[in-house]
Amino acid sequence: MSGEEEENAAELKIGEEFLKAKCLMNCEVAIILEHKYEQIQHMSDGDPASQVSQVFEKSLQYVKRFSRYKNPDAVRQVRETLSRYGLAEFELCTLGNLCPDTSGEAFALVPSLRSGGRFEGDAGNDKIEKMLNDLSLIKKFE
Amino acid sequence: MFFHILVSKLIKDVEGTCSGRHGFVVAITGVEDIGKGLIREGTGYVTFPVKYQCVVFRPFKGEILEAVVTMVNKMGFFAEAGPVQIFVSNHLIPDDMEFQSGDVPNYTTSDGSVKIQKDSEVRLKIIGTRVDATEIFCIGTIKDDFLGVINDPGAAV
Repeated sequence: MSGEEEENAAELKIGEEFLKAKCLMNCEVAIILEHKYEQIQHMSDGDPASQVSQVFEKSLQYVKRFSRYKNPDAVRQVRETLSRYGLAEFELCTLGNLCPDTSGEAFALVPSLRSGGRFEGDAGNDKIEKMLNDLSLIKKFE
Repeated sequence: MFFHILVSKLIKDVEGTCSGRHGFVVAITGVEDIGKGLIREGTGYVTFPVKYQCVVFRPFKGEILEAVVTMVNKMGFFAEAGPVQIFVSNHLIPDDMEFQSGDVPNYTTSDGSVKIQKDSEVRLKIIGTRVDATEIFCIGTIKDDFLGVINDPGAAV
């Protein structure tokens, strides 16, 4: 990123291109990669593991291990819920991946939430708590 | 048929590669457009511009993510988040965690309640990245609020 401002995800400085790009949560990536893996399995007789790159294989293992939500309906609900709060794509995915328990934890993990006056004061805290509570309900009824 | 040849060539050439700008190309998910081929003079080759969508994995400085510990030594520990390697130096491990050598080297708090060893899952913050042609290497820290072990492979499940 030479010449540009230094990258810092905590301040949402992740470059123009990535700010505009769609950001995916681990659980969403897991659905995409598993689907692709199955397709390869159907198309070739051999072992699909030999058909995909090591990067694909390792990414699949990773997102499977660190997906908070497994059920595709739950995954969709999580995105729907989070997208009601005016979050940047990157913030949405960090929250969906890490599932903080408290608003304090959410602010610590995603410091950019404090910017733009979106979650100011007690009302802001309550809003975050409500959001986290909604997420935990989705998990509970998954 | 020709479309398939181009797409499989694209997948073969691009999936699994890594660049500083976009990170790892994990999987191609769609091809939007294939342009007009250009014959490379003097050779039998043709170049096609292909516009495609893909899933990339690009760790950012300041990002917090979860990773699996792969190796522990007195210098610190290595962890893996998919294809990305992350090193956490012992300076960036909380001061109350001490290195313990032995069959399963680990970092443990003095009361033994928290332990980092191979296969532990940790939540860490990326503070530096280095990219070369084939991989991205990160420096991470767990010395901050809400970072550290998220599960302990030694503990009863």
